[in-house]
Amino acid sequence: MNKGMVFGGRAACFLPIFLVLCLTRNSNILPVAEAIWLTIPSSGTKCVSEEIQSNVVVLGDYYVIDENNPDHIPTISARVTSPFGNNLHHNENATHGQFAFTTSESGNYLACFWKDGSHQKDSELTLGVDWKTGIAAKDWESVAKKEKIEGVELVLRRLQGIVETIRGNLIYLRDREADMREVSEATNARVAWFSIMSLGVCIAVSVLQIWYLKRYFVKKKLI
Amino acid sequence: MEKRWGKKWALICLFLFNWARNVSSLSVTVSDMECVYEYVLYEGDTISGNFVVVDHDIFWSSDHPGIDFTVTSPGGNTVHSLKGTSGDKFEFKAPRSGMYKFCFHNPYSTPETIAFYIHVGHIPTDHDLAKDEHLNPINVKIAELREALESVTAEQKYLKARDTRHRHSKLLPFSAFALS
Repeated sequence: MNKGMVFGGRAACFLPIFLVLCLTRNSNILPVAEAIWLTIPSSGTKCVSEEIQSNVVVLGDYYVIDENNPDHIPTISARVTSPFGNNLHHNENATHGQFAFTTSESGNYLACFWKDGSHQKDSELTLGVDWKTGIAAKDWESVAKKEKIEGVELVLRRLQGIVETIRGNLIYLRDREADMREVSEATNARVAWFSIMSLGVCIAVSVLQIWYLKRYFVKKKLI
Repeated sequence: MEKRWGKKWALICLFLFNWARNVSSLSVTVSDMECVYEYVLYEGDTISGNFVVVDHDIFWSSDHPGIDFTVTSPGGNTVHSLKGTSGDKFEFKAPRSGMYKFCFHNPYSTPETIAFYIHVGHIPTDHDLAKDEHLNPINVKIAELREALESVTAEQKYLKARDTRHRHSKLLPFSAFALS
């Protein structure tokens, strides 16, 4: 009994066509469902960013979608920068590109796209961006080949990966909340001390004023 | 040989059809109107997600009306809309397959950074089960499990984005009050 063919069946006959279409990224026939599309303005840059922790795999794939003239696709330039300003990926005059890196510092990672100077038409450009981080960027095909698992077992292994990511995120959120709480409590204590101190200073100054004025009036024989 | 070839394609098919719809959470800066497009493969798919305005400027001017969010179906109808909010979750069933447009509108001229997450989930229905004899009821349960885990992940992304926003804004009012 072929356990691997749990989902295969009907898909096997049109799958090669689908794969070819995915690889050629021709949106006229069948758009690839795994990415979001952005519109690049005719002038200026369009940037997307994400706040990522350190030691996370990031996989990016971008491609120009132009249904108006498929034989003369406009080109774009792309740049990916780390939170410290390091250039992680730079591409010019391209219709598609890929980048992959592991984050070394946590912070805001920015991917910017802009139209090339050679195509100065006033039309907007559609760009498909496939941005995967962490568990979504994992290469499950190689895991399946290496450990010789397939079908339902592979799916369950992926779900296990997702659950582990969820647990990791939960611990991260809890730690951040603990930090925030400590900062809040420290600030609260400081504010309390400051207000008590300022109140004390006010009372002291007013007592001093009363004592001085009393002494002055007594001296001048007004009281 | 034939069976191994079929198995390999089945695996790839599994990856593409079952996992082809997840999108990582991204942030985009909105000055006036920014739109993001996402393709929905099947009619009846659940489109879920959330968005949070992470810029702390929104707290300084309390008269900021918030961001408007609209989802437009391929036919041009507005499927879902939220007005004047600084962040919210959304979930609805796609009335038809096709390219959906998710737009953020900023009524003020100050640019705001919005972190959003969109997920299109598909659970095989009885109709799909009847059509494809290789689809077991276990696939439905696995799909439901996967969707439940995705909703937990989406919730975590929402909490993380909100935490980032509060982190930016929380320390300043305290120190301003302390100085006064």
